[in-house]
Amino acid sequence: MKLLYISLFILFFTFQGCATKEASPESNSDQLQTELTASEEPQQEIIKTEETQTEEFDDEFEEEFSQNESNDTYDPLSGYNRAMTTFNDNVIIYGLTPVSKAYAAILPQPLRLGISNAVHNLQFPIRFTNNLLQGKFQNASNELERFIVNSTVGLAGLMDPAKHYMNIHPHKEDFGQTLGHYGVGPGFHVVVPFIGPSNVRDIAGITLDAYLSPLVNVRGLENYKIPQNFAESVAIYTVHLINKTSLHLGEYEDLRKDAVDLYPFLRDIYEQKRDSEIAE
Amino acid sequence: MLKKIILLLFISVISLYGLEEQNIQKVMDSKVRQVLNTLKDKTLSHHQKDKKNIRVIDDVFDYSTMAKISLGKKWKSLSTSEKSQFTKAFEGKIKHSYLDKLRLYNNQKVNIKNLKKVKSNRITLETQVIGVDDTYKVVYLFYKNKQNNQWYIYDVELVGVSILQTYRKQFAEFLKTKTVNQLIKSL
Repeated sequence: MKLLYISLFILFFTFQGCATKEASPESNSDQLQTELTASEEPQQEIIKTEETQTEEFDDEFEEEFSQNESNDTYDPLSGYNRAMTTFNDNVIIYGLTPVSKAYAAILPQPLRLGISNAVHNLQFPIRFTNNLLQGKFQNASNELERFIVNSTVGLAGLMDPAKHYMNIHPHKEDFGQTLGHYGVGPGFHVVVPFIGPSNVRDIAGITLDAYLSPLVNVRGLENYKIPQNFAESVAIYTVHLINKTSLHLGEYEDLRKDAVDLYPFLRDIYEQKRDSEIAE
Repeated sequence: MLKKIILLLFISVISLYGLEEQNIQKVMDSKVRQVLNTLKDKTLSHHQKDKKNIRVIDDVFDYSTMAKISLGKKWKSLSTSEKSQFTKAFEGKIKHSYLDKLRLYNNQKVNIKNLKKVKSNRITLETQVIGVDDTYKVVYLFYKNKQNNQWYIYDVELVGVSILQTYRKQFAEFLKTKTVNQLIKSL
């Protein structure tokens, strides 16, 4: 047995040569080339074949990454979007984050989690309808089961026994995703004040979702809605946002550090995330 | 005792030089566990944790390939010294960003899900991070290095967002108006 380890050890040790060589193939071959400019020809040829190999290899990556890249060049609102990104950024950093921190210090986490669960549970009609509209019947029935179980056993959705005990997971779908599912493109990017990055398709989606969500008032549907006017809707949204942020403190600040330029960074993350949600 | 030492050496040797295809899942699983254990260890300072965690990922992340991909076609127009400077700066950026994310760690569970061979030289490993109120999908993308047949990570997708893709877009936009040297400085 020991012998096996030792021989394996030796075997892996021999790989070292290849791996270290690989560590920076580009700069190596380049350096070599400058050193060799006027020396023997056969060696140059070897270098050339190596270069074409790495080039092929680069092209493969290039293809892979440029495939999904062409679509968001059209950005007619970029000036407004940039300004609004800065505005939202300030709202989050100087408003939302400090308030959420204080909120988190007052309310214990299980309670905040309960509130988050309850809001999620109330948004069931959005997920159910959009799963149905996309023909995802299994997911729709999972959502229905979750709603029934969590609304009753889960004490009005404060808890999530469907997930924790029955292993039924939520399937987030909204109208924006449904539109995307049927081939509607994102349109240009729009940053919405207090809500964040969005695009034409998703704004249409949010508007349609508002009709289904019991948490947003719509004139004429008061019997079905919890808030009875716009102010109440805003209040609910704000509490929900603070509550949600309190469960994710520090994440936005961390994310924005990765940005070289905040607006295109957030725009790109948003569009990529939506594309992958639609593809699911 | 000797057996343990040899085993330890053996493990550290595998991890030093990329991954063998059949080992990807196993090694990544052990790496994730190592990182989580380090994060949970209260006797270590932040600095010590960072150092330990970087060592765990260093050998599977191919930073120089990542740097190349992040610049795309522009890469070829760089001089040799710019290339090496950029690679160094980019590596630092990636590591920093990774460590920052780990600092937010708060007892989340990580599950390694499934390995998919997309192409003969591409493998994706799906993992799941279970947070307080949500589950996040994290996918590691591996490529096979032709020279030594080992697998290296060239990109990570967090909830469907490719890290390299976001860098590519940002760098492309940045370089429309500014120079590579300015980019290296801003990293």
